[in-house]
Amino acid sequence: MRRAILAAIVLVTGLLVLLDLMVVNPSLDDAAGAVNELLVLLAAAAAVGGGVTLVAFHARNLAARDGDSSGSIVLLVGMAAILLAGLRPGSSGSSDPAVLWLVAALLAPIAASVFALLFVFLLRAFRRGFALRVRETSLMAGAAALVMVLLLPIGGQAGDWLASGAGWMRDVPLAGVFRGLLIGIGILVAVSAARSLLALDGDDE
Amino acid sequence: MPNLGELASYLVGLVTDAVGSSSMRLGAAPTVAILVVLLVLLSLIARPGARWSGSGLGGLGRVSRVMALAAESGADATISLGSAGISRAASATERFQTLAALPLLGHVADAAARAGVPLRVTTNDPVAAIFAQATLAGAHQRTATPERASAAAIEYVGEGRASAAAFALATAGPHGLAMVAGGLAEDATLVLDGVLGDAEWSVAATAGASQAAGPLLDGDGSLIGPELFQAAGEIRARGHARTAVLAANLLIWGAIGLLLAGSLITWAGGSQVAAFLTGR
Repeated sequence: MRRAILAAIVLVTGLLVLLDLMVVNPSLDDAAGAVNELLVLLAAAAAVGGGVTLVAFHARNLAARDGDSSGSIVLLVGMAAILLAGLRPGSSGSSDPAVLWLVAALLAPIAASVFALLFVFLLRAFRRGFALRVRETSLMAGAAALVMVLLLPIGGQAGDWLASGAGWMRDVPLAGVFRGLLIGIGILVAVSAARSLLALDGDDE
Repeated sequence: MPNLGELASYLVGLVTDAVGSSSMRLGAAPTVAILVVLLVLLSLIARPGARWSGSGLGGLGRVSRVMALAAESGADATISLGSAGISRAASATERFQTLAALPLLGHVADAAARAGVPLRVTTNDPVAAIFAQATLAGAHQRTATPERASAAAIEYVGEGRASAAAFALATAGPHGLAMVAGGLAEDATLVLDGVLGDAEWSVAATAGASQAAGPLLDGDGSLIGPELFQAAGEIRARGHARTAVLAANLLIWGAIGLLLAGSLITWAGGSQVAAFLTGR
């Protein structure tokens, strides 16, 4: 019974949103708007709840001397610094200069440093890929090597030939594969979205 | 005292009035086209004679065996729901991958609950964490193992793709089974390597077309592009789900019929026909 009620709620709200997408009707707009506002409220409540849970989890770790204490301290101090900068009296919130400085001087470089590891980890992924599936990884590595050769900065007739080869590689096989993937994703997103809107992906065992 | 006939005519009048006061947002042809596409797709997935046997996408059929091996060796299982989340500022297609990952999470959670393997789920979105919590609760309910629910944990790792990547790298370790399923972007290689790196067996799944190489390189099993959604559909393909899809198809046919009838009524002069139908 409980499942039927939930499924009915999902079905009704899903159809409401779907109809509002296609039909212009003031009442429908209001109803769909109300549903969207509830969703925003839910997301906001969940975000606050997630933050509180994170603080509680790391505070408990510190109290119990469990896990990575230094990491917990860094996280709690970081959260406190951002909250203090954004919520202190006179602050303009997320656009406050102190918040912007913290983001630009600390968060952005930290994130950039993490992403700078991509090259190293890509090589490691290739190593792992070779260990797992030689055929697919070999194909991928071969294609990557071919593209790198085609993009070599060589002048003259050979350079023109390589450049046109690189353009063909990008525009024909790569674009074809990419479009094929996107078309497949689009079709199955539509199917999955319909299943979700119609409450068919619930617990059905 | 109103009788059933009056009530029915009142309801029909209400609907025709609502239809009469509405207009097509996309125009008639695009609306019909969208509905037809939806119908065709639903009919395809709901055809009773369709083949519903799993095709072994991503090696998901091995999950139970791998989980049993993990139970024997005392290992745990870990799942990351990607870095797109559900309520984060990512594109709708990316966030939808998180929803598509939930059936996969349920599939693994079922196996973990049966085998008694501790399961850890990480996400960088609190709303996704709530969904994951409900999925794990459902798994323990289905498998009648509520006493093992405490062994499963959901961790919110903080906001941002960098957080998800950094957390994955910082907590890398040996796992019996590791899975990354959901939207991934430039962080894909870092998340995949951190979560799946030292696992006995791993699955990587993302529909991010530009990140297809990551799952192929890092996972023992991989679901790339549309396969993520296909696998989610296969896992959830049960008998009465097909019945529900058929019922939904009928419902959509009814909605189309009502829209067409309402449009014809409006086009033909509106109130007279509606009045005739509703007896007013």
